Order: sequence, then structure tokens, then C-alpha cells
Amino acid sequence: MDEKRTREPPDAWHMTDDLHVEHGKGDPFAAAIRATRMSMLITDPRKPDNPIVFANDSFLRLTGYAREEIMGKNCRFLQGPDTDPDAIEELRKAIAEGNDISVDLLNYRKDGSSFWNALYISPVSNDKGELLFFFASQLDVTDRKQSEHRITADKERFEEAVKERTAELQAALETQTALLHEVDHRVKNNLQMISSLILMQSRTIKDEAVRNSLATMLERIEALSTVHRRLYQSKDVSQFDVSDFARDLVSDLLAASGRPQIKSKLDLEPIVVPADKATPVALIVNELITNALKHAFKDNAAPGRIGVKMSQPDGHLIIEVSDDGVGMNGANGDASFGMRLIRQLGRQLHADVEWRNSTPGTHVVIKMPNGPQSKGDAS
Amino acid sequence: MTEPLKVLIVEDQALLAMELESLIEDAGHNVIGWAMSSMEARTMVDASEADIAFVDIHLSDGPTGVDVAEHIRRSGRSMVVFMTANPKRIPDNFAGAVGVISKPYTMNGLMSALRYLHEGVRRPPPVSALPAGFTLSPAFSTVWAPSTA
Repeated sequence: MDEKRTREPPDAWHMTDDLHVEHGKGDPFAAAIRATRMSMLITDPRKPDNPIVFANDSFLRLTGYAREEIMGKNCRFLQGPDTDPDAIEELRKAIAEGNDISVDLLNYRKDGSSFWNALYISPVSNDKGELLFFFASQLDVTDRKQSEHRITADKERFEEAVKERTAELQAALETQTALLHEVDHRVKNNLQMISSLILMQSRTIKDEAVRNSLATMLERIEALSTVHRRLYQSKDVSQFDVSDFARDLVSDLLAASGRPQIKSKLDLEPIVVPADKATPVALIVNELITNALKHAFKDNAAPGRIGVKMSQPDGHLIIEVSDDGVGMNGANGDASFGMRLIRQLGRQLHADVEWRNSTPGTHVVIKMPNGPQSKGDAS
Repeated sequence: MTEPLKVLIVEDQALLAMELESLIEDAGHNVIGWAMSSMEARTMVDASEADIAFVDIHLSDGPTGVDVAEHIRRSGRSMVVFMTANPKRIPDNFAGAVGVISKPYTMNGLMSALRYLHEGVRRPPPVSALPAGFTLSPAFSTVWAPSTA
């Protein structure tokens, strides 16, 4: 080590106004600052316009200036036309208040080319709290900034593309929904027309047996219509509430029967079936209830009772319809067609159909698999 | 029982209007007119004294049933019941209507609705239970069926 240089006070370099001269050469910290790859400056706020009093070689390499061109100047020569005025204002404020600051700034080299400068400035004060210097370091972060900009641009482009695609899909969905509504509307109107045609025809028929047969036909079509109406009125077109359907059907049929002495006993758990099972299940329920009403009670004045029970133990739907009427022996041709209908639909649903001759009356049990019940019933 | 209802049918489908007329008359009421368009409906409303008008949303001049209901409300002459396969087109305030019978309705459902409306027009509020196929408007729901409102 050089004797003469080590005799200098270690902090001599930063107590002088002219740091680029020999002072501090023996100070390892000063040497480090001079030699580091990090671009560094020191300015003196006690002098007019806070001029540069020290710049290391890295700063000169970064900016392309010679030392004599910049010494004694304020740093603002680094700014240019595209430097963000808000960032400059932020910087100015921090310096005026003697605070430290870290800011990304677009700066310009001597040759006019620009670079992104991750600038960090901190104030240096003495023991008495007097502001002596600002210490500034510059890091060229152009690459980082460019990839940031690229990412932002990419993101905007993707977002734009997603927005466009979403709008296209939205439009397609709206078209489809409108189409579905239109079809639904037509199906409903046509079902209503079929009912109307049957009703009108039946008014012209004198033969009671034929008229009854048409009435039964009408009830079956109305059961289909009700399934359709209920499915498309509900929020979820994929599921059908069998219990609600049965409840309304029983009150509808009893009200229309004109036989107030027949009472109903309903024991209905809320049960839904998938939409594809809605029609056969509804037809079976309709058949069972209308059969009981029409054929069980021969004596118009005698009291009677129709019971409907729906439950769903372990993945099965069980529908029970019972009456305290005359039993199955009274079944005529129409009722036997009804039974065939129930058997066939039962096969389609993989259901067990059981007719019990109870005393008095009839008890029918339909047991069909009804998958794992939908959400909410998991507990 | 009480005086039968005078009913106006506003429906562009001849078949449905015809059948509705039969059902209404079977129930002992009188159909005093059948309009297919909103224009016809307005003229009939202004010229007659219907107790109740059954109004489809889709008429021969487009989805103008709600306009007809508004016209009837302003005239203050009769009550309105919508009859439509597209109840989603009915505004939230039902344009002053009593309610809606959604198509396809059942014969029994319509008969129950007629009985209910007969009571509601002649001796409000109705004593029968609200029929399954019939939905009351929010305004009438508070007056006619406060427990379910």
C-alpha cells in the first residue's frame, strides 16, 4: 500500500468539493465507487443549481459524455423530449425536500439515444443534520422496460382478442336464446291447438264412450303440455319437479271432477327428475291419478280418498298412488290401456311397477332408479 | 250464483279463440267480442262494457298485447288477464293486469281460473284457492292473496 495516500484522512474524499481529483484515492470505499460497474454521481445542493461534483467512469460510459462536459452541471441535461414530466416533478420534489427517491426515468445520452434509467437518489447529511450531498446511482433498465412494454402490449392485445371473442359468443348465445324462445313459443301454441282441436271435436260427438275416450286423450296431451310449460318456465330446463306436478294435477283433477266428497291425501317429498325422464314420469303419474279418479269410485255420491306419496330412498324414486275404491276388478278396456301405458313407460324408465289389490281399493307402487340426487341433497 | 262475466277475447289464433269462447260459454259466461289485432281490441274496449279481457301478447300486428292492456287500464273499463305462451314478455308491473294464464293451459286449469276470476270480479277477493295454472300480478297478489304475497 502507498504510504502517502494512506495518510489522508479516510473520509477526505467526500469532504472536498472536487471529488474527481486525487483526494480519496487511498480510501477503499472511494476506490470502489470509482471502479464499480454501477454508474454513480454526487451533487452538491449547497452550490447554486445543485451541480455534479463527482461522476464515476461508469456514468461516463453510460451517458457518452466526457467528465469535463458534465462537471459542475445540473443533472437535467439527461432529460429529453419523451421524459415523463410527472417523474421529473416527483424527482424535483424529493430533492427540494431532501428525501431519497427511486424512480424510472427515460434519459438521453450525448448522441441523443435514449435509455431507461432506474435512478436512485439519497441525501447525505452531516452529524448536525445539514444536507451536504446527494448521492445518485443509475442503472440502465432499458431491456426490462422494453419487455415490460412488450408484456403490456401483449396483454392489451390478448384482452382485445378475448373481448372480441366474448362479444361474438355473446351474440351467438343471444341468437340461440331468441331461437329457443321462438321454438318454445311455437311448441306451446301448437300443444294448445292440439288440445283445442280435440275439445272442439269432442263437443260434436254424441256417443259417450267416444267422448270419454277423447277426454282421456285430452288429459294425456295436457299432461305433456304441462310438463313443457313447467320445464320452460323454471330457471333450470334440465330438471323437472315431479312433486309439484303431482300436487297441481291432483288439485286440478279433483276440482274438475265435481265430486267434492273425494278427498286427496298427499305425502310428497320434493323430488326432481332429469328433463328426459319428465315426460314418461308425468304421463305415468297422470295415468295413475286419472285411473283412480275415474274407475275406483263407481258411486258418485259416496266418499272416497286418493293418496299420492312420493319418496326417494337411496337413489330411487318411489311413487305410490292408492285409492279406497272398488279395486282393479272393475277395470274396463280404457283402464287396461292405461295400465299398458304405465307398464311400457315403466320399462323405459327401468321402473318396477306393482299393482296391489288392497282392501278396499288399489295401491300402485312405481319404483325407479333416479340417479344421485342433484346439488343440495348431498347431505 | 252471481251475474255471469262479460268477456272480451284478444287472440290472433282463430282456433284458440274459438275454443276459448266455447270454454267460457260452457262455464256460463258471455263472450262479447273477439279481437285479433291491437286496433280491433282498442275499438272493442271503447265500444263495450266487458268485465274482463283475456289478452294474448302476440297479436296479428305483433307483440302488442301489452299495449292493449295499457289501453284498457287507462280506460278503466275492465280487468285484463294475459294469456300467453311467452309470459317472459310481460312487464314487471303487468301493465295493470290481474295476472297471467300461461299457455298451454289445461281445460280444467282454465275452468278453475274462470271460477276464481268470477269471484274476484263480482265479490272480491276470491274465496277459491289460486288455480295452479294462474299467476297473479304483484299488485293483485297483495289484495287477492295476501298470504301468498
